[in-house]
Amino acid sequence: MNENDDNTFDDELMARAAKLATEVKPDRDLWPAIEQAIGEPVRPNRSVWNSVWAQAAAVVLLVGGSSSITYMAVSDGGDPILPIAGTQTLVFEPVSGSFGSQYNLGPDYQDARRGLVAKVDDELENLAPETREDVVKNLDTIRQAINDINKALAEEPDNVLLQELLLDTYRYELSLMNKVDGITRAAMRRGDI
Amino acid sequence: MPQVADIPHDESRWVRLAQAADARAFEKLYRAHVDKVYGLCLRMTGNPSEAEDCTQDAFIQAWSKLSRFRGDSAFGTWMHRVAVNTVLGRMRKSRREQDRIRAVSDVAPVQESIGDNAELRDLEQAINELPSGARHVFVLHAVYGYSHGETGDMLGIAEGTSKAQLSRARRLLVQQIETERS
Repeated sequence: MNENDDNTFDDELMARAAKLATEVKPDRDLWPAIEQAIGEPVRPNRSVWNSVWAQAAAVVLLVGGSSSITYMAVSDGGDPILPIAGTQTLVFEPVSGSFGSQYNLGPDYQDARRGLVAKVDDELENLAPETREDVVKNLDTIRQAINDINKALAEEPDNVLLQELLLDTYRYELSLMNKVDGITRAAMRRGDI
Repeated sequence: MPQVADIPHDESRWVRLAQAADARAFEKLYRAHVDKVYGLCLRMTGNPSEAEDCTQDAFIQAWSKLSRFRGDSAFGTWMHRVAVNTVLGRMRKSRREQDRIRAVSDVAPVQESIGDNAELRDLEQAINELPSGARHVFVLHAVYGYSHGETGDMLGIAEGTSKAQLSRARRLLVQQIETERS
């Protein structure tokens, strides 16, 4: 191949390169991973599904929590069940605004919860096997609901309904643990959360 | 066929909405540009799987940097630069990863091609086998039509280096194609 041939071939090469496709369709849709990474829910049907899922979980925990508390009330002699604290009526105030994407449980609430979890774990050993099984089952249900709602909140951090459900669920957990532990505590006010 | 909402003149609106954290608008930008970005990533990495990762990273980067986009250029041009930077950043991150990409490329040539043109397929294969520096310059200059100044700017090299890499790429491509033909 002489120099002229080389140049011609080189020119052809560049001409061919300019014809190569600059747009290529990927084999799969890459958007779902991007959407997840940027942390913003886009598809309404998914959001609706998550809300429904969280609400369903909340209903399950309401039934479970109620049945557990009722069962324990009957099993320990029919003492009236007091709402969370012994003497104060818990008033749930509707959320007036969004927590945004950075909502957190307050440190006082977290401390109280950690302390109660440790005490309840000890107290469970003192319960009758049937009662213990029932309490553990209900606590598991409540905690699974907390996880479910948190997952839904990760996708819809500004969903006020989900935020309320999460707070209510934590309250049910506290209520049940308080009952188990037999502790009379000051009501966990909304300001603690 | 593009719908009314998908025509390019809506793009500036999508950009403004995306800058205000509207992910739906950003998805529209993604749909409008993904083929271009993936094509670039594919040409620059020579590996479909790596190109998918680069494309995803590029759009994630674009989302996080969108507030810096002032509209001085078209969104596609800006996105193109983000994609180039993403590819280079990933390659710089790990030399070992780069070696892996090359190794995979050797056994899994790029499948995407336009039409059944055998000569173009040969060229695509030969481009994939270029050393990365020469490949990047060749892709940006010869395939995408950037000047040496623009290519050097995007790759962080001098214009003269871009020209030298192009010359090297052409020489290697000619050798490669001739070898395959013989």
